[in-house]
Amino acid sequence: MKRRDFLRNMGVAVGGPILLNGFGLSALAKSRLFSAINDDEDRVLVLIQLNGGNDGLNTLIPLDQYDNLVTVRGNILIPEANILPLTDTLGLHPKLSGMKTMFEDGKLGFIQNVGYPNQNRSHFRSIEIWASGSPANEYWTSGWAGRYLNQQYPGYPEDYPNTDFPDPFAITMGFLVSETCQGPVSNFAITLSDPFTLSNLAEWNTDEYAGTLFGEELAFVRESISLTNQYSTQIHAAANLGSNQANYPDTELANQLKNVALLISGGLKTKIYTVSLGGFDTHGDQVVEGSPTTGVHAKLLDTLSGAIKAFQDDLVAQGLQDRVMGMTFSEFGRQIRSNGSYGTDHGTAAPLILFGACTEGIVLGDNPIIAEDVAVQEGVPMQYDFRDVYGSVLMDWFNVPKATVKTLLYEGFHYLPVTTCGTPDSVRERPGIGDSIDLGNFPNPFTGSTVIRFQTKDEWVRLSVLDGMGQELAVLVDRKFNAGTHEIPFNGRELPAGNYYLHLKLEGVRQKTALMVRAR
Amino acid sequence: MKASTTTLPLTTGLIPYTGPWTFELAAHLLRRTTYGPTLTNIKWALGQGLEATVEKLFEEIPLPDPPVNAFYPGDPNVPIGETWIEEPYFNNILNEQASYRFRSVTSWTFGLMWQEGISIREKLTLFWHNHVPVNAVEDPKFLYRYGALLRSYAWGNFRDLMKDITIDPAMLRYLNGFQNQKEAPNENYARELLELFTIGKGPLAAPGDYTNYNEQDVQAMARVLSGWTVFGLTIESTDGTFGAEFHPDRHDDGTKVLSDHFNNEVITDMGDQEYKHLIDIIFQQEEVARFICRKLYRWFVFYQINEVVETDVIAPMAQILLSNDFEIKPALQALLKSEHFFDAAFAGVIIKNPVDFLMSIVKTFEVETSTGLDEIYDSWYRIWGFSRKMQMSYFEVPEVAGWQAYYREPLYYRNWLNASTLPLRMDYSEGFCDAGFFPFQANGQVMRVEALKLLDQLDSPDDPNAVVEECVRLLFPKPISQERKDALKAILLPGLPDFEWTVEYQAYAADPANPAVANPVEAKFRALVRSMVTMPDFFLS
Repeated sequence: MKRRDFLRNMGVAVGGPILLNGFGLSALAKSRLFSAINDDEDRVLVLIQLNGGNDGLNTLIPLDQYDNLVTVRGNILIPEANILPLTDTLGLHPKLSGMKTMFEDGKLGFIQNVGYPNQNRSHFRSIEIWASGSPANEYWTSGWAGRYLNQQYPGYPEDYPNTDFPDPFAITMGFLVSETCQGPVSNFAITLSDPFTLSNLAEWNTDEYAGTLFGEELAFVRESISLTNQYSTQIHAAANLGSNQANYPDTELANQLKNVALLISGGLKTKIYTVSLGGFDTHGDQVVEGSPTTGVHAKLLDTLSGAIKAFQDDLVAQGLQDRVMGMTFSEFGRQIRSNGSYGTDHGTAAPLILFGACTEGIVLGDNPIIAEDVAVQEGVPMQYDFRDVYGSVLMDWFNVPKATVKTLLYEGFHYLPVTTCGTPDSVRERPGIGDSIDLGNFPNPFTGSTVIRFQTKDEWVRLSVLDGMGQELAVLVDRKFNAGTHEIPFNGRELPAGNYYLHLKLEGVRQKTALMVRAR
Repeated sequence: MKASTTTLPLTTGLIPYTGPWTFELAAHLLRRTTYGPTLTNIKWALGQGLEATVEKLFEEIPLPDPPVNAFYPGDPNVPIGETWIEEPYFNNILNEQASYRFRSVTSWTFGLMWQEGISIREKLTLFWHNHVPVNAVEDPKFLYRYGALLRSYAWGNFRDLMKDITIDPAMLRYLNGFQNQKEAPNENYARELLELFTIGKGPLAAPGDYTNYNEQDVQAMARVLSGWTVFGLTIESTDGTFGAEFHPDRHDDGTKVLSDHFNNEVITDMGDQEYKHLIDIIFQQEEVARFICRKLYRWFVFYQINEVVETDVIAPMAQILLSNDFEIKPALQALLKSEHFFDAAFAGVIIKNPVDFLMSIVKTFEVETSTGLDEIYDSWYRIWGFSRKMQMSYFEVPEVAGWQAYYREPLYYRNWLNASTLPLRMDYSEGFCDAGFFPFQANGQVMRVEALKLLDQLDSPDDPNAVVEECVRLLFPKPISQERKDALKAILLPGLPDFEWTVEYQAYAADPANPAVANPVEAKFRALVRSMVTMPDFFLS
């Protein structure tokens, strides 16, 4: 470990006790005892990408909106009797019983309505946005986790691996490199298909043609071979040292998570793992006609829930549960209205699922607003910016200072209490959780102008108007306000009739979305 | 895995290349436009010159005979050796008949690449497969028709291809066009048609406006394209027919208005001809020509396109495309004959995709398959399986944007190589050289690099230095250091003086059928090749 990281981490004592796994405390594991006192160094984040755009409204179902859901997506909606109750106003898809148990055990939580302003509905582009953490109108080529790792370990892969950092910083299960872990220079993730395979690839000294395009590609291949060999040795050793202590379903996702648990158990010090599950682009036949609890989406959620549950059971059985947190994400939610093909088209915001350590009781955000006359292309309006979720995970879980998070993500970053673990920086941000926020407009519906009313403390306020497609039409206010109730007029004469959303971002954790209707 | 940091050299534009025609340039042209050129191919191109080689690459060749049933005895409609492409299914379709037919069409496609001589057709077919992809289409008859469509257009008219692909049954299935109807529009195809197939997405100009088109266009075009369905998809029937079908009652016959990006064009009902009119409207935008030229550039030259390349290469190429009414051939030929294409800076900068990589082994080394229909198809099928494991699976493109190597910043081609796929490349390279184990050897069938066949073709096979030299220029994009050449020569001659190789080779040449002299030479030369195909240089084209 580098000296400056050690010093930085010394002052902070957070999280639960450090538990060593009970299996084979070998030389490899012993050599890690010293660094084990640095709690956040041993923390692992598991990211599960749901490829294709998960239908959040059939995953985490807002029961208080059920009547309107029947109207707008009756052909795919889960019958009320089949929904697994989660809270008074929220229920889960019937295939998520494993997740329900985890929630009840304090091992799973949700953040509702996560998206970003100016939602892009192309898979291709939206995956990039979610991976990079960029604004919707900017093209960033590095990933958010890659930038975080680069900030911690600048210069990688030059001089890595080394005796202080023998293990890969990130691992992507499967055959495709992770965009999330792409750093400014290099990708921090090693792809891994089978941890028991030891690579011993031929290495050649090919330091030729330096400074040319060809030389650069040659060096890339050479370095990739070398890194593969070196990290493979570590991974192979950890795989042989580790174990699995739970029964996993026979799915690709479960197998990937099983390997993650194996490597954590074996003492690999990798900080970030990414796994993925594809098939969520359910334009057609999301459910079986006439049997909405079955079909493609049900199968996917069954796979997801079963894999996460087994993974968590495994970690608990090995005493590793306090070191691991997981999060799902997907490029967008789907449209509120279903289509005629028993499916749903590309939409806007959707819930994220958090699991593992520090997720006890978390249900952040309001239930999505389902207007009764939702237009065809309308999506769930965003309440929370995904970059605020990422940044808050970095603060809570990896103890990254808020100022650093701003440089890694965006200047407008707002901390959100996405976990129950606190660091000094994040705990300071927390007051205000659960405060009700006044936001509305009068008259509503309106035809010409309307007055928007909101209440603030003495604080910075950002108020914007979004349309049903998730596009930010106007930023009405982005400045400091004195404490009190404020009214500002809004002229909506030029807007086409339809649903619009006010989005209010206050200081600290308080954000709210409200429906505003432009009448015909 | 790192992103590139080297800056592009100044370009020389589309000016025709008129410099000396060398082995290196002929090899460069054939590596980029065909799969795994042999020494004979490269020497032929060297002898013919640039002009004649490019003509040969684009020579009209008849479309191949269709795939056949190579081994499956349980299809009463299709005897072994006969084709199935129009034949009905009768029962247990997905598990048996579609399954053997899928195997047949993928094998056959690899066979076409394997057997193709000097022609650009198969590389262009794969280019189009990447450009207008399909995946998870469960009916092989659909896949065959789709593949045949791409092949028939290889360097044909881009606009006509887009018309045909719009109502291609596999595409209708893949992008939900078959579900797009008046009452419940499905925008999937309309969106990708604009974003990925024709004009491309520009910067976000305003909410829902992507510079080249906006959300209004997506919605209006989805309505234009409504009404098409597919029939005959993996169902039992007596006649086996299948295809696309237009249903006037599912078609939105109302008036559609496009945005000012398309001159506020108003489209009134034209029934089953409306989609063609729509494609014509989109193709009035010159950006369409630039968009496809960029994709061709990334397929054949390099992934980085800076302002200079945009101005000096893409723009003039697009101009040629426009003045030839979207015929691909003249524009692509201009690129392939240009100074820019032959700029030494671009030699070896493409990491071969898995298909190209595998083909560069089996074709360059003239790997042989057994005789016998089943065995031949089986060999082809294994190559498909290898490429699939390395994440490039024909008929299973992972995303509608294509394979990441051709669009995903910042890695582009580097996406092909990672800690999972690199060991596979090494395994396959070595496997084709050793061929002592499954899947390279099974059921009496061996797929193996023909080492002596190559050695015999070299100009100076008895000179170990020349052997290394000649292999380097055949297999690698550029020369290598003396240090590495020495290391390679040491494989032929472990610690012995050069003349020992000469002696050994001459003894073999005098009596090639005698295993006592042939085997040692073969083993040494095979070991040399085995090392070379796992070197980083061989991964590059």
